[in-house]
Amino acid sequence: MYNVRVIGTAFVVLAAACAATVGARAQDYKIGYITDLSGPLAGSYTPTWQGFELYIKALNGRGGVNGRKVNVTIDDDGLRADRAVAAAKKQVESNEVLGIFGLSLSSTQAPVIAEMQKVGVPVASTFSAILDALPPAKPDYFSTGVTFEVAGEAIGTLQKRIVPSGKVVGITFDSVGGRAANNHNKLAVEKEGYTWDEVLFPVRTADFTPFAQTAAAMKPAMIVGHYGAEQNIGVIAALRGAGYAGPYIIAAYGASEDTARQAAAQAGSGENIYMVSRYAVPTDNAPGMSDLAAAAKKYGIANPTSMHVTGWVLGMFAEQALKNCGAECTREGLDKAMQSVKLDTKGLTGGPIEMSADNHYGPTYWRLYHWETDKFVGVGDWLKKTGLEFPAK
Amino acid sequence: MELLVSILALGSTYALLAAGIVIIYKASRVINFAHGELAIVGAYVFHSAGFLTGTTLTALSLFTAIVVAATASALFGVVIYFALMRRLLGRPTFVAAMVTIGLAIILKAAIVVIWNSRSVGIPIGRQALYNFAGGGRISWIDVISVLTCAAAFAALAIFFQLTRLGRQFRGAAENPLLAAQRQVNINLILAIAWSVAVFSAALAGVLFGSRSMLSPQSTIIGLSGLTAALVGGLDSLRGAAIGGLLVAAATYLTARLISPTLAETVPFLILLIVMSWRPWGLFGTVEEINRV
Repeated sequence: MYNVRVIGTAFVVLAAACAATVGARAQDYKIGYITDLSGPLAGSYTPTWQGFELYIKALNGRGGVNGRKVNVTIDDDGLRADRAVAAAKKQVESNEVLGIFGLSLSSTQAPVIAEMQKVGVPVASTFSAILDALPPAKPDYFSTGVTFEVAGEAIGTLQKRIVPSGKVVGITFDSVGGRAANNHNKLAVEKEGYTWDEVLFPVRTADFTPFAQTAAAMKPAMIVGHYGAEQNIGVIAALRGAGYAGPYIIAAYGASEDTARQAAAQAGSGENIYMVSRYAVPTDNAPGMSDLAAAAKKYGIANPTSMHVTGWVLGMFAEQALKNCGAECTREGLDKAMQSVKLDTKGLTGGPIEMSADNHYGPTYWRLYHWETDKFVGVGDWLKKTGLEFPAK
Repeated sequence: MELLVSILALGSTYALLAAGIVIIYKASRVINFAHGELAIVGAYVFHSAGFLTGTTLTALSLFTAIVVAATASALFGVVIYFALMRRLLGRPTFVAAMVTIGLAIILKAAIVVIWNSRSVGIPIGRQALYNFAGGGRISWIDVISVLTCAAAFAALAIFFQLTRLGRQFRGAAENPLLAAQRQVNINLILAIAWSVAVFSAALAGVLFGSRSMLSPQSTIIGLSGLTAALVGGLDSLRGAAIGGLLVAAATYLTARLISPTLAETVPFLILLIVMSWRPWGLFGTVEEINRV
């Protein structure tokens, strides 16, 4: 009799557990997020993830999408392609996610996307984005972020607002994305009549002094840094130490006003620091920024930066895609839903994010900012880019 | 001139790192693979203590940061010894080396968890001390780095040569069994070795953070320190100083004269050449080297 009671109780508990699991599946949208939280660019990708997480928390706080909460599984790739692919497979097979968001450097993206295309799982990245999203877009890949080639061209155009002529020196680390950004920056500035030189350093560099000295010795009129937050801090301080006091442009691939603040403190001066960004900065007072600030206050993120904005915008994109996908969303349905996203970012970007069947990137908007005392101030209006002006290699 | 000053300043930082590795090796025959992580964690502690109450470093906050980081790093060295290394006495040295690899991974994770992987600078001494006509300059931190390194090596030389504890340390390093039989407290010697080594690592980390910046990626300087120690000789403090300068010179001269992308590679090429020619390093003792 005792055994029967035990078996019966166990059966009831097991049945309840199964029901709970099924219930959770029916209620929550499961999505994945993969990024570098411990590798060389963790300082750039961590606030982006925090911005995304913040948006999803706020979204769930107001009831979710289509009456369902959004459940995010986060994995760290440490900026390694093998770990990113393993995490993506795990999220698809074990976590049963509908789509994967985030991703880190361009070099980790292609293998993840290739694997996800095999199983039809849509992927949406922030920075870095790769050219697969641009027309003619490849299947299952979207980006609301920064494509290095497009950014390089946008920076090349916006540089006219700082110095009208002379030599521009591009500094980057030796990566596919860095070289692409430098190359398109070069093509854009040469079209405008500038001359170009460049300095490349290894990705895992900690001391930037010799590279800064090499760049300063080139006697540039302007320097652009194509890398993440930490490199900007070190390079700006090293450039000032090497005697270069001219304009320095932070290409905002993972940098923010916090980067400029740290760099200014480390360099001993914040003069002549600029940033070109696809996303608004907190001091722009865009309507969307109030929503972000309120959520940050509620969920304990101190001083959100434009890096949090990048993740927040991807969160807005995820919400819109899931909303379009409907209550019975599938991976195939989510892919189609992403293709139809028309997103008003409430001023967090210079214009709306618009996807289509053959363009998974859409038009992008770029703005030049100047560092003034303790904040970035916009220089002129947003620049609209509808694609690449120069063919990608 | 600017290049020479830069080499001396970075070389001093690497020499301090190498000195810590040498001290631990001399005392216990263990190669510490966590030295870069110990340096950067120490520097993050310094930064956190310095900016605890404000957004700028004042004289008081700087003093607080120095006291907190120095105390914490010295104590942490003692804790590492008693919590991890003491249990491994008498075991093969590769076991202890593997433990330091584990420690490195944990410390790097601590940077991610505690400091959120945030990149920070330590704005000390960035002001120009001397401006060159061509545009370069010598900053205070360059001079501070060199002087601090010189003072640290002088203090270590005095400690090892002129103090009773230093002589006991050398005796224990040469023959621990004999030293123990002559009432030398081996545990005290090894705890001091770890304490001094972690303190020097933190000092190197702060100097590095002041010249460049701090991020999880900065822990890679440990590899430069280890290269310097191996090139100079794992049991030679003089070798650590020379090795540090050699690694810094190789990095800077390659970046300036050959190719920036090869700058981080050439020091390892030098390491390979030295190891092939003199496996015990430039100033190491031949018969005592027992590599892991």
